[in-house]
Amino acid sequence: MVEERRILYEHLDVPDINTFDVFRQYDGYTRFEKAIAEYQPEEIAQMVKDSGLKGRGGAGFSTGEKWSFVPRDIEPRYLCCNADESEPGTFSNRYVLEKNPHLLIEGILICCYAMGIETTYVYIRGEFTLGKKMLDAAIKEAYEKGYLGKDVRGTGLNIDIYTHPGAGAYICGEETGLIESLEGKRGQPRNKPPFPAVQGVFMKPTVVQNVETLCNLPFIVGNGVEWYTEMGPTYADTRFDPPKPDANTGTKLYCISGDVNEPGVYELDLGLTCSELIEVAGGLRGEEVKAVIPGGSSAPILTHYELDTRLDFTSLTLAKSMLGSGGIIVMNETRNIVDCLLNIMKFYAHESCGQCTPCRWGTPWVRDIVQRIADGDGRKDTITRPKFGVAENGRWGDTGETEEIYEDLDLLESVANNIANVDTMTWNTICVFGIAVSWPAVSYMRKFRPEFEAAIREGKLVTLPVAEATVPPEENYAYQQRFIPKEFADL
Amino acid sequence: MSDELIQIETPFAFNEENQREFDELIGRYPIKEAAMLPTLHLAQRQAGYITPAVMKHVAELLEVTVMKVKDVVTFYPMFFEEPVGEYVIRVCHTLPCALRDCKVVLDHLKAKLDTDIASETNLAKGTTADGKFTLMKVECLASCDVAPVIMINDDLYKNLTAEKVDEILDNL
Ligand SMILES: Cc1cc2nc3c(=O)[nH]c(=O)nc-3n(C[C@H](O)[C@H](O)[C@H](O)COP(=O)(O)O)c2cc1C
Ligand code: SF4
Ligand code: FES
Repeated sequence: MVEERRILYEHLDVPDINTFDVFRQYDGYTRFEKAIAEYQPEEIAQMVKDSGLKGRGGAGFSTGEKWSFVPRDIEPRYLCCNADESEPGTFSNRYVLEKNPHLLIEGILICCYAMGIETTYVYIRGEFTLGKKMLDAAIKEAYEKGYLGKDVRGTGLNIDIYTHPGAGAYICGEETGLIESLEGKRGQPRNKPPFPAVQGVFMKPTVVQNVETLCNLPFIVGNGVEWYTEMGPTYADTRFDPPKPDANTGTKLYCISGDVNEPGVYELDLGLTCSELIEVAGGLRGEEVKAVIPGGSSAPILTHYELDTRLDFTSLTLAKSMLGSGGIIVMNETRNIVDCLLNIMKFYAHESCGQCTPCRWGTPWVRDIVQRIADGDGRKDTITRPKFGVAENGRWGDTGETEEIYEDLDLLESVANNIANVDTMTWNTICVFGIAVSWPAVSYMRKFRPEFEAAIREGKLVTLPVAEATVPPEENYAYQQRFIPKEFADL
Repeated sequence: MSDELIQIETPFAFNEENQREFDELIGRYPIKEAAMLPTLHLAQRQAGYITPAVMKHVAELLEVTVMKVKDVVTFYPMFFEEPVGEYVIRVCHTLPCALRDCKVVLDHLKAKLDTDIASETNLAKGTTADGKFTLMKVECLASCDVAPVIMINDDLYKNLTAEKVDEILDNL
């Protein structure tokens, strides 16, 4: 069985690790001291780039690369730490804030040093009252000990950290929504470009980084890039000649919930498979896996055919899903996929910020269609439409054949695809919330179409056995781009 | 909504302690408006909910229009524009909690408190007659590993069953 490798969470359960003195006993702040004593800011930024660290908040964008977009000649620059953690199925940041807040402060200090940043705002979701309290107390201690404030440890650096509470809106997790919210407005995402790295909070260059991403920094600096890159797979990106390394380095705080025996946060090297993770989490609660959501509720669903998919950024992207925030939700054979989709669509319909028409209207429409199907009132008329699949040229496209489909299912797919098209990956919205709506809607429907059809046909929710409910990969274009990436070392 | 049109019966002002906290807050940001969310949280804690008087006061403090404050208040689910019960009970009902039977918890609370579920535009609907409790559904509280969960005011309660809910309410 795959072993847990606790790095970020290593001292999480040490009593009083939330206090400066105990944190200090476990190497606390020594990595920051090493950074300022041994490296120039640019060297730290280069180390982070070389480490291959990818953002843990959702987008999985290379952290070092993001930092390189920040113009260093515009002052002041800001760091916003994203502690909004609202993606359903994700709960790893909460434990850092509540139990080991000094680790986050150390990560922030390293980022501030590397980027020449003096002010950091930690945007904490409003419901995290305990987390905010613990972090506030830790910040206060750090000021008292001279690790924050004016002239940090006699280095001439001035670094301030402030916590900022959210107020219950999911969309404030999106980086520009967060920035707007931080500025005291409605949390409505901005058009990009300009990206926050260039024009962020108060229109100044801003680094937005998830809690977990920042918590990786002390270990990259403390143990070195080589140590860090040994964890997790590095694939060969064969779109380049010669192939470029595509790093999925480090550990991930996998959050697993739903139908497993021991839900929780497991820190493991990136790249273990879905079935391995379920095994680590005490095994399945139930007889058979019906479906797995691999990266928070926004991620396209995986079927039991796809349990060998490795849970890392590259593999999941190639499986036409995403690692997202690393929130894995497992569903067993007793679950009805229509019902699950309804739950998720209610969430999105509630959380749309309302700026873009396709999202504001489309999301409740999708919800209403799923509601109708779940209520047994799905429209029984069928329509004939071109059948998509593997076309003659071997790629996904029009097969030249036609298929019969219930009107409501076609409508569901079409409304969702008009918010954001999952096949072409283009969206008609300001932020990628649109994709987060259409991805689950379309992927659940395509991969579990028999269950949707049964609900319409029978006029009530019907939970089919797993084998019958799932469309096999070879019959479904939702799976078509799927292949297993090769590790760089194996080339 | 121009400022003159707002009917204010009792003006609102921060008490001494909260005023001190506000003075500290405002220094954190290069523009005053940015202190909006923490200021509203502070005001709601003192006043119970965001009244027109609160909005007017916050607008003056942050040097923005009342409309702007209202704009923000209406966007965020955690700000209430109506009175709520002494205990606000938030029941998570998103997928991971739903997979762990949050419906049992919700139905039990509804029956026990003899109230409906509040909606964002009608909090009274979910508030008990004695004004003690307000019951509402919320989205994922980032505690799916200990689902189903509820929050009562600032405290999180985990791994709930109907019996545990009884116990918690009895001990409030
Ligand atoms: C709708 C939506 C919600 C998001 N919610 C969160 C969140 O709760 N926490 C988070 O860290 N990132 C969230 N993100 C991702 C952020 O936009 C951003 O990519 C991230 O904070 C960048 O930090 P990272 O590079 O360290 O991951 C969300 C994105 C979208 C589109
Ligand atoms: S896509 Fe939706 S959530 Fe994003 S900005 Fe548009 S309306 Fe708001
Ligand atoms: S779904 Fe209830 S805490 Fe996440």
